[in-house]
Amino acid sequence: MNYKESKQVLLALFITMIMMATTIFTYGQTTINPDTVCINAVGEQYFVTNTPTSTYQWTITGGGGALQTGQGSNSITVDWGGVSGLYPNAVEVIESNAAGCPGAPVLIDVYVLDLSGNPIGPFCAGDPTTPLVGNPAGGTWTGTGVVANAFQPSTAGVGNYVLTYSMAGCNTTINVIVNNGPVTGPIQHY
Amino acid sequence: MKKLLVILCLFFSLTASSQCISNQSFWINPVGPYQPGQVVTVNYTLGTFTQLNVNWIIAFQINLGAGWTNLQPIITPGNPGGSAGYWLWDLQNTYPSGLNFGPGWRFVNTGFNPDWGTASTGPFTMRFSATVDQTCTADNLSISMNVFGDCLTGGWWNGSCCNDPAFNIYNGVVQIVNPITSNINHY
Repeated sequence: MNYKESKQVLLALFITMIMMATTIFTYGQTTINPDTVCINAVGEQYFVTNTPTSTYQWTITGGGGALQTGQGSNSITVDWGGVSGLYPNAVEVIESNAAGCPGAPVLIDVYVLDLSGNPIGPFCAGDPTTPLVGNPAGGTWTGTGVVANAFQPSTAGVGNYVLTYSMAGCNTTINVIVNNGPVTGPIQHY
Repeated sequence: MKKLLVILCLFFSLTASSQCISNQSFWINPVGPYQPGQVVTVNYTLGTFTQLNVNWIIAFQINLGAGWTNLQPIITPGNPGGSAGYWLWDLQNTYPSGLNFGPGWRFVNTGFNPDWGTASTGPFTMRFSATVDQTCTADNLSISMNVFGDCLTGGWWNGSCCNDPAFNIYNGVVQIVNPITSNINHY
């Protein structure tokens, strides 16, 4: 590849990047369908690209969702309920232009996520490594003594620990205790 | 039979052509089609008004389809060599003949009889604007112009009136635009 060819490849790459950026800005889509929210989440913001002369009618269905602010505008906030699950078409918006002509409804499914972690312990300092189990599976554990989604009492040492299970921006915690082993005195002889 | 058909065709041809009005022209800006909220300007000129049987010109009536709103005068027609009086922008007027006029310009003769019109034969140039109504239906956006002589309005009775057809300026309907909404995003 000579210098001219390299220049053309670079130019094509640059144009592709510009087009990708333009697509993102034009359609603004960054949220994957279904959208995921944490159980009992409050003030979750949903929005579409704003057209100043338009009005927007939002409808929240299922998931214990309740529209809090922004009805009529391109951006709203929603509080979600305490029942986890997948709620099809949970968020809907219909845009009307200045003439009052409605556009096609735009919808998004919402998955209300309820994380939990199986309790473990209490441990003794020398106990073996124990796998950490979160529900639903697929999240990540963090905290003192956590190595590769498993708890190592020997690494953590004696103490009380809060371990966190995280997925899709949601968190839950469990408490783990590592106790001292018994301290045995010297053997006595009467 | 053939001769009769030729005579009939000639008759209808003559009656369909203008009796008093000639050299009409216009421009319209912007050129259609039109969407709700658009403001459109029309400039119309009547080159010559022929005074058949001393029938004087008295009114320019603007005919608008239902899709138009906010009709506004911009340039009032002149009165070259005409009678004393003025062109009045009027939305509605009932003439002595019962002719229901409006909207448009009508001449008020201040010299003899207010319903006589003006002795001017033109040219007459006028301009107006109208706005496409906010609508979600394909409403009619036609624009045409009627020119009346005082023989039609009852100001003057002297033989056959000229009754020229409306001059067509625009034909079309509102172009409906439905919004296209982006996908929903969540922060």
